[in-house]
Amino acid sequence: MKAFVIAENEGAARELCAGARTVADSVVLCVVGAPAITGVADVCVHIDVPAGNIADDAYLSVKSAFDAQGADCIIAENALRPLSLVGRLTAALGTAAIAGATEINGTQASTMYFGGNGVRTANAEAIPAFIVGSGVFDGSAATGTDTVEELAFQAPANAVIKQGEEALPKADINLAAADAIVACGRGFSDEADLQLARDLAAKLGAEVGCSRPLAEGVDWFPKEAYIGVSGAVVSPKTYVACGISGQMQHMVGCNGSEVVIAVNKDKNAPIFKQCDYGFVGDLKEALPALTAAL
Amino acid sequence: MNILVACKIIPDDQDIQIAGDGSLDFSKAHQIVSEYDLNAIEFAAQLGEATGSSVKAISVGAAAADDSKVKKNILSRGVDELFLIADDATADLDSAATAAELAKLANAADGYDLIVVGTGSADFYAKQVGVHLAAKLDVPYVSGVTKATVNGSTVSCTRVLENVVENVDVPLPCVVSILPDAALPRIAGMKDILAAGKKPMNVSAAEGVAAPAVSTVSLAAPAAVDRKCEVFEDIDSFVAAVKAAL
Repeated sequence: MKAFVIAENEGAARELCAGARTVADSVVLCVVGAPAITGVADVCVHIDVPAGNIADDAYLSVKSAFDAQGADCIIAENALRPLSLVGRLTAALGTAAIAGATEINGTQASTMYFGGNGVRTANAEAIPAFIVGSGVFDGSAATGTDTVEELAFQAPANAVIKQGEEALPKADINLAAADAIVACGRGFSDEADLQLARDLAAKLGAEVGCSRPLAEGVDWFPKEAYIGVSGAVVSPKTYVACGISGQMQHMVGCNGSEVVIAVNKDKNAPIFKQCDYGFVGDLKEALPALTAAL
Repeated sequence: MNILVACKIIPDDQDIQIAGDGSLDFSKAHQIVSEYDLNAIEFAAQLGEATGSSVKAISVGAAAADDSKVKKNILSRGVDELFLIADDATADLDSAATAAELAKLANAADGYDLIVVGTGSADFYAKQVGVHLAAKLDVPYVSGVTKATVNGSTVSCTRVLENVVENVDVPLPCVVSILPDAALPRIAGMKDILAAGKKPMNVSAAEGVAAPAVSTVSLAAPAAVDRKCEVFEDIDSFVAAVKAAL
């Protein structure tokens, strides 16, 4: 088996190539519109994208790289440009990717279903293609003596024209590496009260994260801070869920935590069936008390 | 201009029951529009108002998707007409097969200039149907769109990627996948819901569905995580327990 990995970030490339080694004898990494990444695969196919084009439109080049390499399995990073490329590639091959794979076994993969309410195992009937998020494979296991093969960008007939771009500021938050996380939910009715969570986080050496409504409904947090099925999936030693009800869509993002502590006003909140230590009551009482005592 | 918006009708995950044997029971679940697709409908409706275009919804799903409340819901949000394939033969399609059915509807809906899709559906959240639809129709595709302005034969979009914001001109016809932030779904009034019942709803059965490239092997509830579940109403005991644990 020969795996064809589509990734643009070095961390993801490491993880996906390491994972690809567990299912394939040889690994080809395809990097589009980002610097070539070496030391992780046997070959790195690098496609530079002209300033007026978008990486997503490199699909003709990616298809010819896939054919030239004679790969028979695809693994793609869960980021927007790789998602476009794997979509076009699988469409051209008459197949479809299995997205959100948490475990790959031959042509089969397990994925979350309905935001973690279920686990689905799916089988690829044709060329297996998987979309894999961060943290599924161990990037430190990646090895390779890859040579870089440059491939020209081939524009499609109706190419998208890029007029300009602006780098986004790097979010000052790294949930994946955090030993402790204090997560805020809809139980916070006032943005100013978030300081109580920040104080506790400072005491614990924790990062501050949130559930989806605080990153999407209101803009109290950047989207990198959102923990849950379509956001970050974390597994710190300590997870403090403040004012989070415990919906499945959030809990799948933090189920891997060693200890889960919950504070919620509603004694019937589902979080209390999914935590180690819970307090039924006001955040404004519980958070300062924890900050003072720890 | 003809604007289409693709949306998925699925069981409400709040109503999914877990049976004794760990299987998922959808029998009591109401049908709803997948959450992020409501944002896509709103985005299409606003773009339709801004450009004086017709807005039609296209959807493919199980027989249960032919639900009068859901159909009215879609048509009460600034959508003029609905094209729906509701058939158990199209209940569990992969992204490619879903896109193939949507492409049939796009052609049945009297042409298209711009097709809007949501970020991902609540069941699979694969984020692949939009790009497969673009591939099927051989048109351009951009994702992560937060703003779109139509200028003659192109649509100028702002797309927010993981580390960069791109400003792009996309030749029409095309498929754009929007981020949820791009438009917040409206709350339809009683008048809109009543008017929705009189709008054209074209519901059809599946015909010549492609063989799936991906099929479901098993579906089950996730394994429960073992937790202590010590819940306190007294703050001092709670703090003491947390302190001892950390």
